[in-house]
Amino acid sequence: MRDNISISRRELAILFAQVLQAAPEYRPQFFSAEDFAALESFTEILIPTDDTPGAREARCAQFIDFYVNASPAEAKERWREAMQALRTAGFHTASAAERPALVAAMSQEHPAHAAYLLIRQENMFAFFTSKPGTVEFLDYRGNSHNDSFPACTHPEHHRV
Amino acid sequence: MAKIYDAIIVGSGACGGWAAMELTRGGMQVLMLEAGSPVNPARDFQHKHLYDLDYRGRGNPGQLRRYSGDERNYRIMLDNSENPYTTAPDTVYRWGRSRVLGGRTLHWARASDRMADYEFKAASRDGWGMDWAVDYATMKPYYDRVESYIGVSASAEGLPQFPDGVFLPAMPLNCAESIFTAAAKSLGWPTTHRRLAQLTRMHNNRPPCHYCGNCVNGCDVGAMFNTVVATLPPARRTGNLEVRTDCVVAQVRMNNENRAQGVTYIERFTNKPVDVDAKYVVLAASTLENTRLMLLSHKDGLANSSGLLGHYMIDQVSGGGVVGILPILKGGPARLDDGKAAGITIANFQNFDQKSTRKDFIRGYVMNATGGQSEYPTIAAAIPGFGSDWKKEVKSRYAAQARVWIAGGEMLARKENRVELDPEVKDKWGIPVLKIHFTHHENDRKLIADFQQKAEELFRKAGGEKLAGPTRSTQRLGGSIHEVGTARMSVSPKEGVLNSWCQTHDIPNLYVFGGNAFPSTGDKHPTLTFMALTARGCDHILGRG
Repeated sequence: MRDNISISRRELAILFAQVLQAAPEYRPQFFSAEDFAALESFTEILIPTDDTPGAREARCAQFIDFYVNASPAEAKERWREAMQALRTAGFHTASAAERPALVAAMSQEHPAHAAYLLIRQENMFAFFTSKPGTVEFLDYRGNSHNDSFPACTHPEHHRV
Repeated sequence: MAKIYDAIIVGSGACGGWAAMELTRGGMQVLMLEAGSPVNPARDFQHKHLYDLDYRGRGNPGQLRRYSGDERNYRIMLDNSENPYTTAPDTVYRWGRSRVLGGRTLHWARASDRMADYEFKAASRDGWGMDWAVDYATMKPYYDRVESYIGVSASAEGLPQFPDGVFLPAMPLNCAESIFTAAAKSLGWPTTHRRLAQLTRMHNNRPPCHYCGNCVNGCDVGAMFNTVVATLPPARRTGNLEVRTDCVVAQVRMNNENRAQGVTYIERFTNKPVDVDAKYVVLAASTLENTRLMLLSHKDGLANSSGLLGHYMIDQVSGGGVVGILPILKGGPARLDDGKAAGITIANFQNFDQKSTRKDFIRGYVMNATGGQSEYPTIAAAIPGFGSDWKKEVKSRYAAQARVWIAGGEMLARKENRVELDPEVKDKWGIPVLKIHFTHHENDRKLIADFQQKAEELFRKAGGEKLAGPTRSTQRLGGSIHEVGTARMSVSPKEGVLNSWCQTHDIPNLYVFGGNAFPSTGDKHPTLTFMALTARGCDHILGRG
């Protein structure tokens, strides 16, 4: 008797991708829906998806939302102020095409510069502690079982 | 009638574990008391990536200050809310502690350096403080014994200020370490591999390191030395060891003949006090916990006829250094650069002989350097900007990361740096906690400033580019987790609490193993010396020394 459904690895991968796409949209715990959308967009401008993964694949905004939600009141207040600064700077209402220039302005002297720094710092942390950031982008090799430690064999590194 | 043990050992870290092995092998019936819980390395220590953890390694932000340690290793650290301590108004001191079977050996940096005679006899050289009651010739056989057993991967260099020992093969250097070695050599500074209690081949039934770089979160296979895998198993095999965990020792009890009768501990979860008796009481909790117990056991402090118990607390300076990149390594391929969690050591090269004597400060320091790829790309924060260009900048510099830091910088021993019992604050079990009085001396600051200058010189010589961005404060006290002193050893009972066997001058059956005996810190990592002193003290208990 054989009533198992036989399925190839490739078919499985496609199915899996479809399930992922069909997953319900993330519901932010701390940020309002508008703020979360703005935050997501901001993080994806800071660390864009190009030939390597970016904040989108790493779901940085989701981690930030989760982390801020678990944080003490002072941290939450800092984030409320940051999102208000973004709103005042017009980031929420700006078009996708206008936003990168706005982020660039905030990276310099700007009323929302503190907000820029906060999002940059937490987005960076979220990205480099994610699997896409660590494994796919950085190609980090550690935290694994290895037979030996790779010695430096480059003559140019043995003189100054 | 209740059992009278031959010895009670308080604590299960580097010293407690070593004492348990020596004393049980010597035929003594030993009771070990540990304030924390047991761990099972194979089950509790697993390779976890940051993305496997709820808070990506930071821990729950709502509870950040509760534990020493982070999300991966807080279980082998300590709950500060149960075990507080206080500091004097002029003191900022971070006391890193563990309460767990195995203590700090479960997550230590594994650095295993021998102290040299210029450290044991520093006071004779420069007039500050007091010489040790032991010298290198006395300690050498005990260093040999400890190294032979624990396994130290290192390279022999023949440096008088950095004595060689019984070594396993050293671990290879990565690219950044090779460059820093070449740079230090061209400056005339003595370098070697960091000397680590981390195996490079099978040794005493423990497997070699598998280069995961995860040491401070606990080693899953026991390739790095810790009590649980190395010293407790042979002690248990003798049939002479009983281990009780979650027992918080509250005091040493005395009899009428000026001998320790035993100890009273409090069951951690039931708060029930229990008395146990023994012919010898061995305090081998952490340095300051040992002293706390002695302060708790008598109104003037136990074994304190010298009046020096609690005084002359010392630490090693930490912080500072240089973070940046080595441009020659830019754009390099993915490599396992941080797999051994090590680096190179630049031995102290000042104030150790007549020729190297400085006019502006006394004592010395050891530097470390390493670089390359790491779990978290620390340089990312220092690279300005954003977008695809920023990603490329980070990626290309990732393999070129480099840093120089201070490993051990000697702080001067001063009487006013001390611990006492806080008159008001108590821990979860109602036991008074320690209050720490601790500040830097002018000489400590000069030494740190000299280190900073030399670290930058080394970085320049290696062709490094220093990165802008936050540098760690050089004034962090406690950051090195090398606190010692508070019951210093002395030849005369008037000048210290312990003799050269770490036996108290006043009470013949009370021994104190740990950093307590140190009259000065030297510039080496202290744990190997803790264990060598323990081995020597155990010989004395067993009538062999």
